[in-house]
Amino acid sequence: MLRATAVSRSYGETVVFENLSIDVEPGEVVAVIGPSGIGKTTLLRTLALSLEPDEGTVSFDGTDAWEVDDPDRLALRRRIGMVFQAASLFDAPVARNVEYGLRVRRSWPERIRAELRSLVAPSGTADAVRDALDIVGLDDKRAQHVESLSAGEAQRVSFARAVAYDPDVLLLDEPTSDLDPRNTAVIEDAIAEARDRRIGVVVATHDMYQAERVADRVAVLLDGGVTEVGPTERVFDDPRDPRTRRFIDGELVY
Amino acid sequence: MYPISVTRSTTTYFCVVAVDVSVTIQRRTLLTALGTGALGGFAGCSGLTGGGEGAAAVAGETLTLTTTTSTYDTGLLDAIHGEFEAMYGVTVDAVARGTGAALESARNGDADVVMVHARGLEDEFMRNGYGVNRRDLMFNDFVIVGPADDPAGIEGMRSATGALTAIADAGATFVSRGDNSGTHTKERNLWEAAGTDPGGDWYQETGTGMGGALNVADGQGAYTLSDRGTFISRRSDIGLAILVQGPIEDGPEILSNPYGIMAVNPGVHGNANYDLAMAYIGWITSPGAQNAISSYEMNGEQLFFPEAVSENPDFQQYVPDGWSSGTADA
Amino acid sequence: MPIDPAVQSLQLLVDLPFREGYVRSIVSVSLYVSLIAVALSTLFSIPVAVVLGFNDFPGKGLVKAVINTGMGFPSVVVGLVVLFAVSNQGPLGSLNLLFTKQAMILSQFVLATPPITAISLAAITGVDEDVRDAARALGGTRLDAALVVLKEARYGIATAVLAGFGRAISEVGSVLIVGGNITGADGISKTRTLTTAIQLEARQGQYGTAMVLGGVLLALVLLINAIVVRFGDWGVQR
Repeated sequence: MLRATAVSRSYGETVVFENLSIDVEPGEVVAVIGPSGIGKTTLLRTLALSLEPDEGTVSFDGTDAWEVDDPDRLALRRRIGMVFQAASLFDAPVARNVEYGLRVRRSWPERIRAELRSLVAPSGTADAVRDALDIVGLDDKRAQHVESLSAGEAQRVSFARAVAYDPDVLLLDEPTSDLDPRNTAVIEDAIAEARDRRIGVVVATHDMYQAERVADRVAVLLDGGVTEVGPTERVFDDPRDPRTRRFIDGELVY
Repeated sequence: MYPISVTRSTTTYFCVVAVDVSVTIQRRTLLTALGTGALGGFAGCSGLTGGGEGAAAVAGETLTLTTTTSTYDTGLLDAIHGEFEAMYGVTVDAVARGTGAALESARNGDADVVMVHARGLEDEFMRNGYGVNRRDLMFNDFVIVGPADDPAGIEGMRSATGALTAIADAGATFVSRGDNSGTHTKERNLWEAAGTDPGGDWYQETGTGMGGALNVADGQGAYTLSDRGTFISRRSDIGLAILVQGPIEDGPEILSNPYGIMAVNPGVHGNANYDLAMAYIGWITSPGAQNAISSYEMNGEQLFFPEAVSENPDFQQYVPDGWSSGTADA
Repeated sequence: MPIDPAVQSLQLLVDLPFREGYVRSIVSVSLYVSLIAVALSTLFSIPVAVVLGFNDFPGKGLVKAVINTGMGFPSVVVGLVVLFAVSNQGPLGSLNLLFTKQAMILSQFVLATPPITAISLAAITGVDEDVRDAARALGGTRLDAALVVLKEARYGIATAVLAGFGRAISEVGSVLIVGGNITGADGISKTRTLTTAIQLEARQGQYGTAMVLGGVLLALVLLINAIVVRFGDWGVQR
């Protein structure tokens, strides 16, 4: 569905990755593992179509995203949800945050009408918003302002915000690296729920145990490229690339 | 009625005369009907100049008058303008500046009519073609005011230049307007006539208008040159006294302070509201407005003395000093 | 000086039936000119601040330096420049703007724009870049992202607008030069503002009226500052 083929990206002289290929299918969870600072975020932003690769192609259902014009690429982008390492919530109540993706997809006249209506009478929360908050167990907090949330709750809202508009692909960049085990478990359950809804999930993580818990396939990102990609169990139990093996065995320290 | 070959400006000039004539007639008949009379004269003028719409042509328009702080700050204009505005259904925007700035605004075409008190500058303004149809409007005089203890001992002097020389010799503080206004121009002329080049710690320029200069002089116990009108209007608030009188109180003629009024030349600035400017000049030099000027009092004293209406008109009021038709033709 | 402002103020209260219309018209001219000028400045400044805040381009530092210098523009200099522009001889002379409220709005626009732009820009650049990325990642257009940033920066922008208003309503130099400090013969202000009226009343020795006007101006400015503080509080509470 979403496929990066032989993509390269550099910042100045520094090569982040070269000739890298990765893909995700509906209802599949792909974990990108690798040490911190290896370029997982750059890869996710490339997949999110917010960063154009120097070389290679990123295609969505066979459409090369950087060959089409801006409106078409926006339409493709809008089939992707993204959650960052930091929650990055807007200074507004929880429901307004979760609703954001739905709002920007409406036409301007509709948006203005909705804003004006909400001035007169507080409109009810959309079903999609309640449903998204339900996935992360926060439906009861929808009226609260985000300032009153804990860090874990904020990240869960961020997750709900990315699934509320029912994307085809969900990209998660170290979504639990700052969270306690309980909130981590909620996010991991939500990833499973996303998979059940036939969403293709790419989760970048430096936590191999998390990859083992949530992923169907694992891509190992080392030394500017994917050294190995395959079913989770096979990659962890029987890595074929020697660098992958040393990384998984904990010998490769970065 | 008139040769068709007359130019527009000639016709217009003639109209001014028509206004004056009508005013003169009215003065002989009924003063209260003056407004209507002037209006009639003006309406005829509009017809001649091609407007053809009569007096209504100016209704709703705005006249921009640049004038001096000495006429404005005394409250005279606010007191008399209501009648003119009601008569023509117009608005007068009076902008108070120093005489220099008032003339400069007019020179740039930013005013329609200008009322100032520095004959030399007015003559220059007319010679350069910016102003037309000057009329003597009114006069008062300048007085030299100072603290009651009079450190330079000028009280009662009959010579203004002698008084200034005494102030300079005593090094007593003197506040100058310093703003290129009519009063400032007069003051510089007086220093020149006295043969003294003022300077040093005792000579201070304020640049704050006449009222401001009086405030500063009062605060410092200093001398200053003031027009009588502003001084009278402020006398109850400040501790200064008249030490050298002007010609109104038998002082030297050199301290006289004549005000003139001119229209901005529409030949130079086509956007100037010449019709309304001439209506204004016609009105303010009319017996009715002249009476209003002479009856305007502050603290029980008359501030300005009308000069426009006279049995023996001074023809020099219409042209720069020394100008004659002979020199113009040559 | 043999004046007692307190006594004069008392007398003024007695005179109020006459002066009331005068004071009210001056206040309304002040508010009219300053509010419109600040509204126009805001409409101009915020897009400029957004463009400056979101983009890097050669000469950006220079543009920012010019804006910061503009915050210190002396109002009389601005008045002089606007005077040359709107004078009959100037480039806008044909519009006949001199000695009108429009000319005053123009000069206050020039005065209020630099502080509004500079403070808005600081507020916009102060918004976490993650928030902008999030708006884009959630399917927002560039415009959507800009709107999100503006919303995040709203307290700073409100402060900017109020600072611009404070500068506009309390400046005397430019409105005196381009407005001409005009009232009608009926004592109703045309281009006289609180500041120019105070200057004139003081020059005429009408210290009582000057003090009443000064009190009104002070009250307005205090009100504005109170609103600024209030906005700041909201910003903290949220």
